[in-house]
Amino acid sequence: MNLWRLELLRIVRTRRWLALLSVYVVFGLLGPVTAKYLPEILKAAGGNASGVTITFPDPVPADGFVQYVSNAVQVGTIVAVVVAAGALAFDAIPEMGVFLRTRVASLWQILVPRLVVSFVAAALAFVLGTATTWYETWALLGPVATDRALVGTALGVLFLALVVALVAAVAQWMRGVLPTVMTSLVILVVFPIVGVIPALGAWMPSRLGSALADVVQNGVPGDAWKPSVVAIAAIGGLIWFAGRGAARREA
Amino acid sequence: MITTYGVTKSYGAKVALDGVNLNVPDGSIYGLAGPNGAGKTTLLGILAGLRDATSGDVAIDAKRTEIGVLSDTPQFDKWLTGHEVVDLALRLAEPDADSIRVEEVLRQTGLGEAAHRRVGGYSRGMLQRLGIAATLVARPRLLLLDEPASALDPQGRREVLDLISRLRGSATILFSSHILADVQEVCDAVGILAGGHLLFQGPIADLLVGSAVPRYSIRLRGTITPAITSLRKEPWVTQVSEYDGEILVEVRTIEEAETHLVPALARANVSVISIKPEEVSLERAFLELTR
Repeated sequence: MNLWRLELLRIVRTRRWLALLSVYVVFGLLGPVTAKYLPEILKAAGGNASGVTITFPDPVPADGFVQYVSNAVQVGTIVAVVVAAGALAFDAIPEMGVFLRTRVASLWQILVPRLVVSFVAAALAFVLGTATTWYETWALLGPVATDRALVGTALGVLFLALVVALVAAVAQWMRGVLPTVMTSLVILVVFPIVGVIPALGAWMPSRLGSALADVVQNGVPGDAWKPSVVAIAAIGGLIWFAGRGAARREA
Repeated sequence: MITTYGVTKSYGAKVALDGVNLNVPDGSIYGLAGPNGAGKTTLLGILAGLRDATSGDVAIDAKRTEIGVLSDTPQFDKWLTGHEVVDLALRLAEPDADSIRVEEVLRQTGLGEAAHRRVGGYSRGMLQRLGIAATLVARPRLLLLDEPASALDPQGRREVLDLISRLRGSATILFSSHILADVQEVCDAVGILAGGHLLFQGPIADLLVGSAVPRYSIRLRGTITPAITSLRKEPWVTQVSEYDGEILVEVRTIEEAETHLVPALARANVSVISIKPEEVSLERAFLELTR
C-alpha cells in the first residue's frame, strides 16, 4: 500500500469513477441522438399542441458535439469538483489528516497522487464521453474533422486540469469538503461573468470548457492560445498555492 | 529526548499553554496528566509539528520519520481494511518493509481476526487499537500518544497499558491522559498540566512524597461533631473536615498520627467503626496540586 494505490482505491471503492464515467458517457450517448431527433422528440412531447409549427434546420455533425458539451460540461464539472474535493480536502476529518501529515517527509507526497488521480479520472471520463459522442455523431449525423475533434478534446482536458488544480488550492485553505465544493463552484461561475468584459473575454480560461463544441463547429480559432496560456499559468499558480496551504500549520 | 523552552500558545486572548518547559528523558514513559482543557492536546500537537507555538522553542532528538503520533480519536478512510491502514503506515516509514510486521502488530493489538474487514465496520475501541497498531508498526523511537486508552473498555485499556509497558526501553513514550490511575501505573515520570501551566514535572514518587500530606478517614457511630472539635485542638492535626459522613484528618506526620489518633478519639468518647489511612495516590496529589 502506498499513497498512489490509496487514491486508486478511493476512486474504485467509493465508486466515484462510476459517477464521472456515467455523466460523460451518458451525455456522450444522448448528445448526437438529441441533435438528430430533436424535432421528433419535441413533437412526441406535444410541442405542436398550440398550433405553432417550429421548423428546425437539418442537423449537421457539429450539432452532436454542441449537444454533448452543453449538457456534459456543466454536470460533469460539478461531479469532477465533488470527486476532487473528496480526495484533496484531506484535513476535512482532522484525525485522518494527522495520520498522513505525521508520516510524510513532504506534504507533496500526499498532494501529488490526489491531484494526479483526480485529474486523470476526470480527464479519462471526459475523453471516453467525447469518443462516444464522436462515434455516434459519425453514425447518425456524419463525419467530423479529426484535427478539430482532437484539438477540442485537448482543450477540454486542459479545462479539467484547471478545475482540479483550483479544487486543490481551495481545499487546502477551506479544509472541508462542502466548503471546498461550494467555493470552487462559485469561482468557476464567476469566470464567465468576468469574461463578459471585452478586454478579458478572450483570455478567460472558462472558454476552454466549451471549446470542444466551438472548435468542432467553427475550427480552431486564431486566439485559442490565449485562454490556454492563462490556464497553464493558473494551473501552476494554483498548485503552488495548494502546496503553501497544505504546509500551513495552525498559527 | 524532548525539551521545550517556554512554549506558549495563544488563541486570541485565550492562553492555552503558558511558558511550558517540558523535559522528557530518553527511554522514559512520561505521562502528561491534566483535566480536560488543560492544554495536553495542544502541547502534543506542537511536539508533533501540527501546530505552531506562539513563542518558545522545541527540541526533539528524533527525526520526523522516527516519531509515531496517535490522535485521541483516530479515524481512517472507511473503505480501507485494517490491514491496509497499518500497511500504509509501515510503507510510509519503510517502503521496502516486510508485511509480516503488519500482521504481527495487528495481532498484538487484538485486531488479527478483523484485519481484513473494512474500517467502516469497526467500533470506536477497534479504531483506537488500529490507531495504536498504525503508530507502532514502524517501530518509532518516540511515541506521542494522545489519550491512547480513553475510548477502550476495561479489558482493552488493560491491554493498551500492558502494550505501553512492554515498550519500555525500546522507545520513549509521551502519553497524555486524564485517567491518573493509568499514568501512575505505567509512567516513570509525570507532568501535571492545568490551565496551560506545567505545575509539576518529575518522577511520580517525588510528586507523591512532595505534594500529598498524610491523611486518615474515620467513620464513627452517632454524632461526629464532638470528635471534630476534639481533633481540631490536637497540635499534630493540620486539618479536619467532614466528607460523606466521614471525618478526614490531615496530620503532620504518620508517626504522630499512629501514636496519638486513637487516644484522641478515646478522649472524645466516641464510638469508632473504622480508622483508615488514605493511600497517597496520584489523584490525591494532583487534586492538592491543582486546588
